[in-house]
Amino acid sequence: MFGKHVSKKLSAYCNQELSADEAREVAEHVLVCQRCRRELEEVRLGVRLAQTLPVLHAPASLLGEMETHLDERASHPAQTRRARISSAFTWPRMAVAFTSLLIAIALGGWFFLVRPSTTSWEVARIAGAPRIDSANIGESGRLAVGEWLETDANSRALVQVGQIGRVEIDPNTRVRLVETRPTEHRLALARGRMHASIWAPPRLFFVDTPSARATDLGCAYTLEVDDAGAGVLHVTVGWVALDLGSRSAIVPAGASCAMRKGTGPGTPYYEDATEAFRTALAKLDFEQQDAGARSLALASVLDEARPRDALTLWHLLSRTPVEERARAYDRLASLVPPPEGVTREGVLRLDQHMLDLWRDELKLGWFKNDPLWRRAWRWIWGWASEKL
Amino acid sequence: MGEGASDVERRAVMAEKIVDDGVIAACQRGDREAFRLLFETYQDRVFSIALYSLGGDETLAKDVAQQVFLKLMTGIKQFRREAEFTTWLYRLVVNACMDEHRKRRRFLPFADFQNLDERAVSKRDEEEVYARTEISGAVHGAIMRLKPKLRMPILLKYIQGLSYEEIADVLSCSTGTVASRLNRGHKVLARKLGHLRNVSFEGE
Repeated sequence: MFGKHVSKKLSAYCNQELSADEAREVAEHVLVCQRCRRELEEVRLGVRLAQTLPVLHAPASLLGEMETHLDERASHPAQTRRARISSAFTWPRMAVAFTSLLIAIALGGWFFLVRPSTTSWEVARIAGAPRIDSANIGESGRLAVGEWLETDANSRALVQVGQIGRVEIDPNTRVRLVETRPTEHRLALARGRMHASIWAPPRLFFVDTPSARATDLGCAYTLEVDDAGAGVLHVTVGWVALDLGSRSAIVPAGASCAMRKGTGPGTPYYEDATEAFRTALAKLDFEQQDAGARSLALASVLDEARPRDALTLWHLLSRTPVEERARAYDRLASLVPPPEGVTREGVLRLDQHMLDLWRDELKLGWFKNDPLWRRAWRWIWGWASEKL
Repeated sequence: MGEGASDVERRAVMAEKIVDDGVIAACQRGDREAFRLLFETYQDRVFSIALYSLGGDETLAKDVAQQVFLKLMTGIKQFRREAEFTTWLYRLVVNACMDEHRKRRRFLPFADFQNLDERAVSKRDEEEVYARTEISGAVHGAIMRLKPKLRMPILLKYIQGLSYEEIADVLSCSTGTVASRLNRGHKVLARKLGHLRNVSFEGE
């Protein structure tokens, strides 16, 4: 009698975020629907209250401190530093410095690459009776390099990943600590499910599974692996890179990616994509099909794609044969026009520079090619972790 | 249709007019005055979002704002367009606040926020802020008690005046998710502060 309720659109209506047609639909509906009218009053009150939220003044000292940073940058230009360096430069000093540098590199190399890791991770029981190398841990235990942590159907555990994060281990899961050192923390997930929250700089935490390696890019995610070695990754915060051999995928928050043993990571997709889109994508990624069935699956993916699904279409460019790539290109270009410098011909011949340019346009590449300050942060973090 | 644009939204639009591509290009060249303009334009809103998000701890909010601007100074050369800049700036703010939450593994106590008016608000125009002390105090409290995932869209909407699409971009989610979270946030505010239903608000 009243048509479809409009509850979900009420805030957008109050915030003037609806198209004229949608706004008219809401206005007409609330005239005849008491329930939605009541909800509109409630949302409208919420909007009015939220609008009273004042923007506060930052402390005056904030600007002053930022000015100090600017002063420091201005007072230490590279040229001045070079002048200071050259005035201190002499051949004997350089020889001593060069020798010291070689020794430091050798020691550093030994420390990071050769020295066996003797550290371990703290494990706390959440439920049941988690085991490390078949021995119950009680309330807590230590997981050393090479040891397996295992949970049964009733057990769960929390693992502290050095200084950089933590991992929650669900029931029926088996993981092994492969490596832990300042520049690399690595787990192997043989089966089951784990939830990782990592707050260190990107590319310090890795999880090996039978079907792909997950590389943390500053994020929180859930990784599942079944008994056949197939898995799926769900990212909730940040980004995760998946790779196996030359096949790789970048998975942002809100997206998932399936993996299969022997094949590697599939194509990432946003979890709110349509069912038809996801089903067709799974067929493209993992099923052996004749040309006709494959063409139909691709058509379904392309038809169902929204601008947000550019994530998926961009990945398809580099993992489809040229004829399919052309169709994926045309659909992607219609959803998100390629930036300057990217041509159809270039993308069809998989010009890496053009693919990267387009990915950057799609904001998929913010965490790749880390700038110097981020690399420095990563190094400092590694050093601090070693000292703590 | 709907409610009129708030002062916050008008201020946001003005700020965007001041900080245009030219200012960002000047920052990328290391122009000190351009950096100053950028700080002055955004410092209050960055600080406000951090403060509301971090339980009213002014020192912590200031630290977070400082981290955000330092990252901005370091990374601004990567940006080519102003639209990307605002999204990036607020993503830095959101990430910095989330990092603080993670470090503490819980939300900060509400108690600290009770004195917010005396500490932070007292530094701004008294006529503007204290005219509605009762309402703003109650709204502060209710905002603080919202779940983080409902609170951040509200802060981005009403402190910064972002559109649903821009909020979705900052939070890396869909506009549908933003609409849903704002809907829930508005309803929670209305239910907690239903007693203010008949109070006339500023500007009405």
